[in-house]
Amino acid sequence: MSSTHTKSATIEQHIDIEGHVGIDEHIGRDLEYSAAYRWQHWIRAFSIVALIATGFYIAVPVITPAATNEPTNFLYALFRTWHIIIGFVFISAILLKSYLFIFAKKHVNERAALKDMINPIVWAKQIGFYLLINKHPKLKGVYNPMQFMAYLLFYLMAFSLIITGLILYVHVYHEGLGAFLYEPMRSVEVMLGGLAFVRELHHMLMWGVILFILIHIYIAVYNAIFIREGTIDAIISGVKWHKRV
Amino acid sequence: MQSNSLFEKMSSRLDELSILPKLDEAVSIPQLIEEKGFSRREFMGWAAAMTSMLMLPANFTPLVAKAAELADRLPLVWLHMAECTGCSESLLRSSSPSIDSLIFDYISLEYHETIMAASGWQAEQNLEHAMEKYKGKYILMVEGGIPQGLSDFYLTVGAHGKTGEKHAKEAAENAAAIFAIGTCSSFGGVQAAAPNPTNAQPLSKITNKTVINVPGCPPSESNIVGTLVHFILYGTLPALDIYNRPKWAYGLRIHDACERRGRFDAGEFVQQFGDEGAKKGFCLYKVGCKGPYTFNNCSKQKFNQGTSWPIQSGHGCMGCSEPNFWDTMGIVHEPLANRLYHTTFGGLGSDATADKIGLGLLTVTAVAIAAHAAISVLKNPEV
Ligand code: HEM
Ligand code: SF4
Ligand code: SF4
Repeated sequence: MSSTHTKSATIEQHIDIEGHVGIDEHIGRDLEYSAAYRWQHWIRAFSIVALIATGFYIAVPVITPAATNEPTNFLYALFRTWHIIIGFVFISAILLKSYLFIFAKKHVNERAALKDMINPIVWAKQIGFYLLINKHPKLKGVYNPMQFMAYLLFYLMAFSLIITGLILYVHVYHEGLGAFLYEPMRSVEVMLGGLAFVRELHHMLMWGVILFILIHIYIAVYNAIFIREGTIDAIISGVKWHKRV
Repeated sequence: MQSNSLFEKMSSRLDELSILPKLDEAVSIPQLIEEKGFSRREFMGWAAAMTSMLMLPANFTPLVAKAAELADRLPLVWLHMAECTGCSESLLRSSSPSIDSLIFDYISLEYHETIMAASGWQAEQNLEHAMEKYKGKYILMVEGGIPQGLSDFYLTVGAHGKTGEKHAKEAAENAAAIFAIGTCSSFGGVQAAAPNPTNAQPLSKITNKTVINVPGCPPSESNIVGTLVHFILYGTLPALDIYNRPKWAYGLRIHDACERRGRFDAGEFVQQFGDEGAKKGFCLYKVGCKGPYTFNNCSKQKFNQGTSWPIQSGHGCMGCSEPNFWDTMGIVHEPLANRLYHTTFGGLGSDATADKIGLGLLTVTAVAIAAHAAISVLKNPEV
């Protein structure tokens, strides 16, 4: 695995299984995720949470002001505005990350995961690991094949959410970007079977993302506990700890 | 500049039309309107409203008035397919007929299955006669979905027992313009709803000629007559949206021009019919209004001579002018998000909403995760 990683130090502090703190030349610290990667991960994570919260409200507005003749604070419009603003943050994060994955030099370790993806032996070993049958396979990239599949599915959902979201958007704002996107988005709308279904699809995709989040967090915590390479820390600090062989 | 040349083009088109023979030499439309008690002033008022509806500048009003007066130069053939005649009724059965319905009523005399005097063999002959005599000149308006192919026998019409599909095909062949009036002939409508037992299809699937859709269940009288006046004025087909609907009528959502939109944005919703919010005219989104997904101009044109329209009267939009609205708009009195899925997971998810199914899946996943975690703790995974 180390071949694709930047070695930042040869001798590192090491906490071994028995809990002894010491220096161990067999453990190395590798840059796993670039700064841009980590920033967009957290921006995206927070935007998704906010989009889900505002999305549920848009679907069925549960909080409503009492029926009075007092001036109002335009609650629903506010929810929608925030949903759309954060929606564009989400779009930017997804586009940035897609760019990094395809082109960025520092992200070769991500692209290397493709090789594991098409290797049936790594697949079998990975499934075996989660079924507690065998050891974790050695990987060429930063993602194992199951993880890569899950992320692929996530991006499929993310892009579908973006397309359906933009279709809904062009009907809310008719000028500017809305006007620019209007005709192409309407063609997609017709292909999908009308605005009502677009809205439904947007809603169903949200549930797909919620399921993804649950599994994603579980596996991350699982790896942090059992593999002990600093998996969760890596998405904050950027580095992971790997055994040197 | 542009409107000047348009004005001239329309004027010369109307001049051409005015030489054509009238439906009945003894009657003229201005005369008819006057007889029914409308003053010239009222007629010009109607023409001004029609002008603005067609998105033309106000100085085009005399042209629109003239176009209406010349409506009897273009013979109209109106066919009924699988439908409820609601679209015709929307125009014809009003206690105080509007100018729209008067004109329509009169020009429909050539062949309209509901209002013509002839019946049986005679009716059949009239249709053939009209199609022959006005070949390439008549306007065809079709109401209703059309059972197609092996199911065509579900609609058999008239003395010769011809299928609706055959009738429609033949009539479309030599028409100058074809309009599908109402959601059934535009998109299939209620009889095309799943599982569509009679294989009812929209008119556009029956003929390969261009069909202008004027959907609605029913479309308003002004959308029907407006489409006609538009054709008389321009002689060409109007700008169409992606579903072949005239843009001047179906360019915006109900929601975009709804009088309750302020309430929507304020988050003020009717929670239940008859509550305090309903009395105050709050937004009907939570009691099932489908205005956000529906393209039509009901809020501007209204129904029954501009008296009212569904949302004004306190009921949400049902989405009637959209394709497959019976299947896609969910429950009438619930927001779209609460629609029920009937067939998910081989019936396990029957009659559940997307949220309920989502929560179910989430629970199953959580249980699986808990089990996997417990086993992993007992039997440490190999690293
Ligand atoms: C993780 C991403 C997202 C989630 C979970 C999400 C969730 C939702 C949900 C649940 C709804 C309500 C649908 C319903 O009525 O059933 C909604 C509506 C909407 N979403 Fe999203 N959304 C996401 C991303 C986006 C993006 C990227 C955009 C694009 C700007 C967007 C724009 C919209 C718009 C315009 C509406 C409709 C608002 C209205 O018509 O009043 N969404 N979203
Ligand atoms: S009543 Fe319907 S169309 Fe009007 S604002 Fe509310 S949701 Fe929109
Ligand atoms: S308000 Fe909606 S359901 Fe009612 S007639 Fe208009 S488009 Fe159809």
